[in-house]
Amino acid sequence: MAEITPTDSLTVVDKLPEKARVARREYPGALIVVEGIDGSGKSTQLYLLKRWLEIGGYRIHFTEWNSSPLVKSATRRGKQRRLLTPVTFSLLHAADFADRCERQILPLLQGGYLVLADRYIYTAFARDVARGCSPHWLRNLYRFAPVPDITFYFRAPLEVAVDRIMAGRPKLKYYEAGMDLGISLDRAESFRIFQERILNQYDQMVPTDKFVLMDGTIQVNRLQRQMREIVGERINLAQYAPKK
Amino acid sequence: MKNADKTDKTNPAGAHPNGRNGAGARRIEPASSRFYGVSLPGVKEEELTGSLIVIEGTDGSGRSTQIALLTEWLESEGFAVQTTGLRRSSLVADDIDTLMAENSITRLTLALMYSTDFFDQLERRILPALRSGLVVLADRYIFTLIARAAVRGIGRDYLHGIYEMALRPDLTFWLNVQPEVAFDREFKKSHSISYWESGRDMSLSNDLFQSFIRYQSLIKKEFEYLSRRHNFCELDGEGKVSAVNRELRKRIAAHLGIKGTHYTPSPALASLWH
Repeated sequence: MAEITPTDSLTVVDKLPEKARVARREYPGALIVVEGIDGSGKSTQLYLLKRWLEIGGYRIHFTEWNSSPLVKSATRRGKQRRLLTPVTFSLLHAADFADRCERQILPLLQGGYLVLADRYIYTAFARDVARGCSPHWLRNLYRFAPVPDITFYFRAPLEVAVDRIMAGRPKLKYYEAGMDLGISLDRAESFRIFQERILNQYDQMVPTDKFVLMDGTIQVNRLQRQMREIVGERINLAQYAPKK
Repeated sequence: MKNADKTDKTNPAGAHPNGRNGAGARRIEPASSRFYGVSLPGVKEEELTGSLIVIEGTDGSGRSTQIALLTEWLESEGFAVQTTGLRRSSLVADDIDTLMAENSITRLTLALMYSTDFFDQLERRILPALRSGLVVLADRYIFTLIARAAVRGIGRDYLHGIYEMALRPDLTFWLNVQPEVAFDREFKKSHSISYWESGRDMSLSNDLFQSFIRYQSLIKKEFEYLSRRHNFCELDGEGKVSAVNRELRKRIAAHLGIKGTHYTPSPALASLWH
């Protein structure tokens, strides 16, 4: 397949009317999201936040990107047999997210839970635009998603993040490495270029999607302290505390 | 079998024949591009030399009969034909079957699975065929998918947004039948009415017949709107098979530049004719 170059950015093309977006506070719950490229440290930080809240007895639910059992077999088949194009890759992940959103995230937010999401729609925006999908089309596709209360964006320089991944996981998967884009025949090289494109897309969303920028290079425990402080400031945690 | 391309397609972008469609139909969309909105990543429109002809209509409207007859006719005229339809992708067709049988899927997830199925076929079947100059006969298209989702409360502009990367058909026919007629025909054919074609997930009525009629009436209303918006060529699906087929051939012949055609079905298909 010929290389597809991303043409335009998310920030300029998003012209959806405001009413098309899900209202921010129609439910008593709250949604905290972490985003960032592989190796940025986001999952570790969300895990530590989750442990903190769990130990405190708060009403929380943890959800991950790409985890709906309903769509799993299709996704697995598509990836194994390399049937996916940028558009069908994107739609299948949207179907997966829709299932999780309608059956988990929304009911839990309505039921007054603090929902913690490891990756959210911004993963799709960054990754699928990097694959050549239209940003405007993607924004429409995911507009049923509730807007997060906090989106933490863990940012680490490309080389740091890539080194962390390459050190622990030498075998990169086909789509994960962006091999479908025909950037490079070398999997590690393809992965690096693909991650760079994704990183650029994330960076562009910082102002438009009100990301809270977190420095993925600082010490884990210091970063976690920052994260907990921000959560404490922005979310009324008492609302989710165990009932006495 | 490779066809001798009879059509003059020096300007495929301008070849959209909406002007020839049903008299009095109001054209809302511009006919400047082969895609409704942005084109699919990596597609060069000028490469698409074939024609996309869509037959829409509910179950029992005679779609598959007409497609069988049209395929034979086009092949006899020397055109290579590729057929396509809903839920036939190698990517997710089986999963959709399973999900629908399990009955735990939400309407939005189902709509998105169907759109995955559609785009898989568009990219892997329809576009390659059009690049090779084939005539693609589509047994239903995005319009059925939009109508089904819209009657289930999913926003029309949301759906149009998803399908803006779909290829605009050269001709779209709508075989329009009354729900009662569709019911008779379906019942005669399979001695039962399908769960989804009667919209039983929508709790319209506990009475199966009533549910079917109400659901199909809602779908029909969506199609009336889509027909105006997308300039369908509406045909009376309750007419004789031969009469509907004559009308289809007349319009397709005009589009493909086939002159003085004559067609009677071969013995293999003769039973469909009556």
